[in-house]
Amino acid sequence: MSDLDFPTSAETLDGVSTVEVRTSANAALIPTIRAVASDLAARADFDLDAISDLRMAVDEACATLVDVAAPSSSLRCTFLVRRERIEVRAEVNAGQPDAAVSTDTFGWRVLQTLADDVQALRTPGVDGNGPTVGIRLDKHAGDAPR
Amino acid sequence: MSDPVAPCSRPTADAPPLRTSITLPQPGTVLLDVHGEVDTLTAPPLEQALSDLLAEQEADRLVVDLSGVTFLASSGLAVLIRAAHRAADRRLRLRLVTASRAVRRPLQITGSEQLFDMYEDVSAAVD
Repeated sequence: MSDLDFPTSAETLDGVSTVEVRTSANAALIPTIRAVASDLAARADFDLDAISDLRMAVDEACATLVDVAAPSSSLRCTFLVRRERIEVRAEVNAGQPDAAVSTDTFGWRVLQTLADDVQALRTPGVDGNGPTVGIRLDKHAGDAPR
Repeated sequence: MSDPVAPCSRPTADAPPLRTSITLPQPGTVLLDVHGEVDTLTAPPLEQALSDLLAEQEADRLVVDLSGVTFLASSGLAVLIRAAHRAADRRLRLRLVTASRAVRRPLQITGSEQLFDMYEDVSAAVD
């Protein structure tokens, strides 16, 4: 094994760089998460509209989840940066046993418009804990260069 | 009961939220100037400022200058759309001044820009 075996970039062998941001589930911290989203998209050469869309989509997803998060819980946001697209998974532990992401809201419609693909996720809680609810979204870099 | 000496759970209480001001640049025209980021936390103060703008019964030209807004979330869009409907009840159209992509893009992609008269600089909007 030589020094040459070390990866020369943040890219892993399968072409995905992963960035995870974990904060208190508090709306006051969402600006930090959307700034990370914006920065990753800019570095991945997204076009300016796509950067703006991803920033807004991540903000919307996080705001939706903070609303249902249990008190003093965490918001986990994982960015999978691939060639030409970024996949985002955000999740919280919900406070109420029947909590879910509401998809009949103006915010959800905006999210569907902003992202290329978006899904609400839900895993039932065990041992009396609330469920884990999340949002997965996918955003493409924009017009491919010719 | 929570412990009263527990540390504050809002670490960014001093974050710069939203600054708004209302002026009357000329008779019949009211201008609401907005600076900052409009998201789920700052949409309520924006809604209040828009209510103050709409309370100017004498005015027939209501201008919202969003040139200083650097982020607009769906919660902010929703507030602007409600204000547009309230203006429409008075047969008025809100005039929006948008200088940046951060504001124009959300309005465009949701098709809500048709609810407003759009301007790129404030001097044209108050004229």
